[in-house]
Amino acid sequence: MHMSDALISPAVGITMCAVSAAAIAYSAKKSVNEKKIPMMGVMGAFVFAAQMIDVAIPGTGSSGHITGGILLAAMIGAFPALLSMSAVLIIQCLFFGDGGLLALGCNIFNLGVVPCLIVYPLVFEPIVNKDVNPGKITLASIFAVVAGLQLGAFGVVLQTHISGVAELPFSAFAALMQSIHLIIGIAEGIVTAAILCFVYKMRPEIMEFALDRDTAKSYLSKGVIAAFTVSVLLGGFVLSQFSSENPDGLEWSIENASESIEK
Amino acid sequence: MINKIQELNALEQLSGGDTYAHRLNPAAKLLATAVFIITVISFGRHALMLLVPYVFFLTLLMILSETPHLILLKRFLVALPFCFFAGISNVIFEPAPYGLISFFTILLRAYLCVMAALLLVSVTPFCEIANSMRRLRVPGVFVAVLEMTYRYISVLLGEAYSMYIAYSLRNAGKKGIRMRDMGSFAGQLLLRSFDRAERVYNAMKCRGYVLNAIPQNRQNFASKDFIFLILVCIFCLAFRLMVI
Repeated sequence: MHMSDALISPAVGITMCAVSAAAIAYSAKKSVNEKKIPMMGVMGAFVFAAQMIDVAIPGTGSSGHITGGILLAAMIGAFPALLSMSAVLIIQCLFFGDGGLLALGCNIFNLGVVPCLIVYPLVFEPIVNKDVNPGKITLASIFAVVAGLQLGAFGVVLQTHISGVAELPFSAFAALMQSIHLIIGIAEGIVTAAILCFVYKMRPEIMEFALDRDTAKSYLSKGVIAAFTVSVLLGGFVLSQFSSENPDGLEWSIENASESIEK
Repeated sequence: MINKIQELNALEQLSGGDTYAHRLNPAAKLLATAVFIITVISFGRHALMLLVPYVFFLTLLMILSETPHLILLKRFLVALPFCFFAGISNVIFEPAPYGLISFFTILLRAYLCVMAALLLVSVTPFCEIANSMRRLRVPGVFVAVLEMTYRYISVLLGEAYSMYIAYSLRNAGKKGIRMRDMGSFAGQLLLRSFDRAERVYNAMKCRGYVLNAIPQNRQNFASKDFIFLILVCIFCLAFRLMVI
């Protein structure tokens, strides 16, 4: 669900870039541990490689791949996970033409900030809590991945709608995106759970370490999230109003033309 | 998977060229690309014809930088589907001629934006982009992660590929990996990555790595960089302001 430059307006693009840049800067400040840098880099590359592996979806004959936000957060912690995810998205944008430079802000928000900084501390961590066991891990990953993808997909719908480039009717587009991503989310949740359970069986210390450390929860009170969401929505709304006050010449002329034809 | 590695390397090789475009300051190129993209997407939904000058401009830049059009075009086509489907809805939901116009406008916007970004990396080595990000005050930790990810993608893709071959050889050549094996498959890859990261860190420390090292051989903004940036801005604005 990569957002594309072609579908966003400059106002939305720039707002989302600013939001994502702030999230990255904050995460960079929070994950200063130099020892973690190769870990973040190599794990970013791992997500990239994991996205290339096709999983056969039972009963359908088709295959899909994981996106990996929650997986990363569970392995290396929320803030480092955002940095890795953003790095992957930037490389995909620059070298494979996925999305676009200005749409990066949207993509980092939908696929990075949402799963790593919002869903992971609010859904995954409370379920798994301190005493980890495979049952909890499975439950937490399925819920967290589904929630992350639902929110991310809704982000795509909102950004497309506010931009107003594509003529998709909001409710139909939302219904389509949410239901597709519900199915994808359940599949990815199961795969994520399987991977995490495997890692937990082989090396329990890795996950316990990730849970013990940095818990974004403490920085991410509900108030912060509320303020954050409201400011994003407001910023996007205000900017889009501002830009649509001056429709460009051609659009204006087409509107006039179509009106006069109707008359 | 092997294709992906080759794709990645193809652009890296292009960026090693030595034309006028390659010698420009990377920060100037980054800014120029941003100006170009913002201008393109600031056009309205039906501005199909107004975007044509930008196609010529982009093509001109590609010729000047001796970038083979075909390699970039292939990549654009791979990334296209989402825009295509979102655009198709315009044909359906808008009255007859406008729907078609806005559909093609979306495709053209996608073409211009993706090609501009791909052109940027095919004339600028990745390490230079990273260094100019450092100079633009992007946090050092993040740039280091970015560089490291980029360097290790081909290593881990290779590793994943050989695991995949081994798996499908033992699995009578069936396509994809079964869901119930995915956990141990990806988990194994993940543990290998983890261990590798630790060895990488030790190796880096042994060689005297410092996190926020100031990039050497600093390229200053020369007059040609300013001229290039100003030319791009003038061009973009001129054709944009024509219609306001």
